Amino acid sequence: MTTEYALRMGDGKRVFLTKEQIMADLQEGSADAADLADVPALSGDELERIAEIMMTPSRMVGVEPGKEVPVTHDIGTIRIDGDQGNSGVGIPSSRLIGSMMHERAFGADTMELGHIDYSFKPVKPVIAQEMQTMEVCQQNMIVPLLYGAMPNMGLYYTPDGPFENPGDLMKAFKIREAQESMEHAAGHLTRDTVWIMQRLMASGADGVNFDTVGAAGDGDMYASLHAVESLRKQYPDMYIEVGMAGELLLGMHGELEYDGTVLAGLWPHQQVKLAAKAGANVFGPVVNTNTSKTSPWNLARAVTFVKAAVEASPIPCHVNMGMGVGGIPMFETPTIDAVSRASKAMVEIAGVDGI
Amino acid sequence: MSNEEMFKELSDAIVSCKKDAVIATVEKARDEGIPPAEIIEKGLAAGMNEVGVLFERGKLFLPHVMMAAGAMEAGVALLEKDMPKDAASKKLGIIVNGTVEGDVHDIGKSIVSTMLQSSGFEVHDIGRDVPLQDFIDKAKETSANMIGMSALMTTTLPGQKDVIEMLKEQGMRDDIKVMVGGAPATEAWANKIGADCYAENASEAVAKAKELLL
Repeated sequence: MTTEYALRMGDGKRVFLTKEQIMADLQEGSADAADLADVPALSGDELERIAEIMMTPSRMVGVEPGKEVPVTHDIGTIRIDGDQGNSGVGIPSSRLIGSMMHERAFGADTMELGHIDYSFKPVKPVIAQEMQTMEVCQQNMIVPLLYGAMPNMGLYYTPDGPFENPGDLMKAFKIREAQESMEHAAGHLTRDTVWIMQRLMASGADGVNFDTVGAAGDGDMYASLHAVESLRKQYPDMYIEVGMAGELLLGMHGELEYDGTVLAGLWPHQQVKLAAKAGANVFGPVVNTNTSKTSPWNLARAVTFVKAAVEASPIPCHVNMGMGVGGIPMFETPTIDAVSRASKAMVEIAGVDGI
Repeated sequence: MSNEEMFKELSDAIVSCKKDAVIATVEKARDEGIPPAEIIEKGLAAGMNEVGVLFERGKLFLPHVMMAAGAMEAGVALLEKDMPKDAASKKLGIIVNGTVEGDVHDIGKSIVSTMLQSSGFEVHDIGRDVPLQDFIDKAKETSANMIGMSALMTTTLPGQKDVIEMLKEQGMRDDIKVMVGGAPATEAWANKIGADCYAENASEAVAKAKELLL
């Protein structure tokens, strides 16, 4: 009887696959990424290595000694306290306690302070509270503590913001008006982000993490890159991390450019060059998980994209690993078997500098 | 120029997303005596299919799809007077599309609505965070053939199942097809809740809607 290995589907469901099935899915996943982004597929040896990692009988795996990488967390401060469908565990605690637990108990190498809404725009009305919390956290902690939030440009459109919703304008075939709305929103997003970070830097922040850049399309990245550029000019030593929302930068506007490059349609190995040019220290490539495919398919696809980004990058790449990204199933609390296997493959095969 | 070459030129004009180019090519094809239905089906619609493929591969985006759809509409309008009245205004089906209650995600659902509309369906996009009964009310009001439901969170996904149950309770399930989508939805989920289909992306939504309604 052929041996079957207990793996996962992209939605976390248990699935049993033979080695032949695993290899077929690995090849197919890697080929998909290579075809879409025009980057090299993984070699036969690399696919074999991922298969070995996936077939390891242990429930969880780890990297080989000497291959450890820094690990940081994004919304971690409220991951302890949060309990609203946002992957938090609902243990009443302050953000200071959340940060210190990550630093002293969970081994986080850098940490991030984040607001419960976790977008830049809603930080404006509570900036004084954020500044005070940052100061208190900095007084109690040693590891670099960034401030993190999502650019989330969608908040600048109706009904949440002042500019007409491009989705509504598009439906009415008002394409130029939709593009203008995105351009206005991008200007405001850049301005708000810089304003917020000026205050947090004054409160002792070590830097900023732009989380899920591009979630609202190319305008979202356009605004973020301009904010990075502005902050880098004002704070030459500031730590700036740019983490993406997905592997493909969607062209909601379609014609925006940064430094002469059209943003729509960029893949991780192209995104990273612009992030570095704008002044980021670290780039966080993201590859979304397809819930209908197996974990070998998703992981090989993710490793292919990320390996190409690492090779093209002039700055360190800290890959985003978690619910629904990096070959990990889309599940509120991803299972340790999937998380540890995907993380090991990212370090040992994609060559990431951190997670 | 052969008809095949003409169809290719029409298709390329649509892919260029330029209205002027489409109008000029449609006039040229009409002058060559190609029947309007063939100009639309083998030229313009084929071009829209190609736009769909390029959209799926991340080479073209929503504004481009909209521009191509606008160009196609202008091309079809030119031919309308030469076509039987019914043929010009015929819709492929009526679809009510929205994001279920509790879920404010809008972009993916809007792209699906746009692609369905561009492909010839009459689409009633009822927005995001839509109370579940509203899907059914709108379907009744518009005599819809299909309800499309998006959910981007595992916590809101059960809303899709609830609407299907409500359709059954209200005796409407046999008359209306149900399509589900969104990041946490899967083929297995669609089967489990008794949906008629699951679509992974906008192009697939169009293909499956055609499969179910035509």
